[in-house]
Amino acid sequence: MLGGGAAVWAAAAALLPLPDYYLPPPTAVLAAFVELVAKGILPAYVGESLRRILLAAVFGLVVGVPIGVLLGMSRRVADFFYPILNFFQSVSGVAWLPLMLVWFGFGERTILIAVNYTVLFPVIFNALLGVRSVPPLYVNALRTLGAGRWRIVTDVVVPGALPSIATGLRLGLAYGWRALIAAEMLVGAHGLGFMIFNAQNFHLTARIMLGMAIIGALWLLLDYFLLRPIEEATIARWGLVQR
Amino acid sequence: MTSVAMTSVARTLRGAAPFVVLLAAWAIVTRAGFVSPLFLPPPSDVLRVAWEQALDGSLWINLAASLGRVLLGIVVSVPLAVALGVVVGLNRRLAPVVEPIVGFFNALSGIAWLPLAITWFGLGWASVTFIMFNTIFFLVFFNTLVGVRTVPRIFEQAVRTMGGSRRHVILQVLIPGAMPSIVTGLRLAIGFGWRALIAAEMIATSTGLGFLIYNAANFHQSDTILVGIITIGLLWLLTDRLLLQPLERRTIERWGLVSNAP
Repeated sequence: MLGGGAAVWAAAAALLPLPDYYLPPPTAVLAAFVELVAKGILPAYVGESLRRILLAAVFGLVVGVPIGVLLGMSRRVADFFYPILNFFQSVSGVAWLPLMLVWFGFGERTILIAVNYTVLFPVIFNALLGVRSVPPLYVNALRTLGAGRWRIVTDVVVPGALPSIATGLRLGLAYGWRALIAAEMLVGAHGLGFMIFNAQNFHLTARIMLGMAIIGALWLLLDYFLLRPIEEATIARWGLVQR
Repeated sequence: MTSVAMTSVARTLRGAAPFVVLLAAWAIVTRAGFVSPLFLPPPSDVLRVAWEQALDGSLWINLAASLGRVLLGIVVSVPLAVALGVVVGLNRRLAPVVEPIVGFFNALSGIAWLPLAITWFGLGWASVTFIMFNTIFFLVFFNTLVGVRTVPRIFEQAVRTMGGSRRHVILQVLIPGAMPSIVTGLRLAIGFGWRALIAAEMIATSTGLGFLIYNAANFHQSDTILVGIITIGLLWLLTDRLLLQPLERRTIERWGLVSNAP
């Protein structure tokens, strides 16, 4: 199927009366790959983008999850923060980017803040939702057995909320990855987004397609090796806990 | 006033409370002079700019441009995606081959299409529609396909046994059975599409909310940027309340797949 697709693409590129920058053949994309790897540009940009998104993933996990769990612990607090968290998670980091540009200028800091923001709010929001969806029955059961507050958090609240936390991480990082590409285009400080945007200025379409393929493949790898294991370890194990 | 109406008023008030607190904090911080109004203007300035832009019509033009693009994206992509998803999902040999390919395009959805879109269609609405199509189409297609494939065969066989035709199976088993997944796909598609649109408008168009805020950044007009950000957030909340939640209530929640927390 993939081979067939490549064959159709090659034929279209060869037969259609279009300029080469419009639809470069697959071989041109391959050549761009070899060239950029040899020059060291591609490994550097991939490393840059990966570093940024992994940083945001760690930030979401270490900062977002505890905040969400903490806010979700009390019904009153959760009810209070729910609408405002919903608002902030719905405004993507890219929308804040212009304001960040005014505040921090064109640079690494702006990109990192925009991406971390984008990841953080879906994570907090879903962690809160997850904690709220743990049936009070389980909490009461442990309390009846004499468990302390900490014990309830580690043994009931967090495990019960894990499926929702995993969903939040996955969604947050999916949004964050796209916000990162957009931010790299607009701010222009290296990275894959910068690479494909800059290539457009020079009509280097093979380079654009190469960048797109890598952006898609990297996300699939991230999803497969980082997010899906978390999700499977939680939803598969605890998915039926909720109700 | 009935008790039902009272609880809904009380709920609205409680929902507004955190925004009031945030507004108050924002007003205090800016009025006390902790930050320069160039960086963070007080709420009153933002309100004044919003009012001015509402009166001269520019806010409505940008809002209508963005909303129109989202709607165009939905109208062009969703029917096609659902139809193709059902057709491919029905074919047991084709579906496992198509699924990973659509999955790849899902991973690529959004703003990554922009440079190619500009190369092919230039700056303007065609590029934006192309990006929106690629974002919405593949997400809905993928989720329809997965939804159709996960409908238990026993339901299909039951309808068949009772003399149902292929049409019955499709209309009364597969599509309703896939509905929760389709609606999930729609929610994701609109979420991703809306974000992609804001980013695309910054680069490829000269109208829309994305353009409004990015253009304002060039002139350091923080107040205009905040008008845009708040409008974007409110529009999403409205879309969620008026379109997605009712759809989910009729499909996912009815099927008992979602818990109504908190």
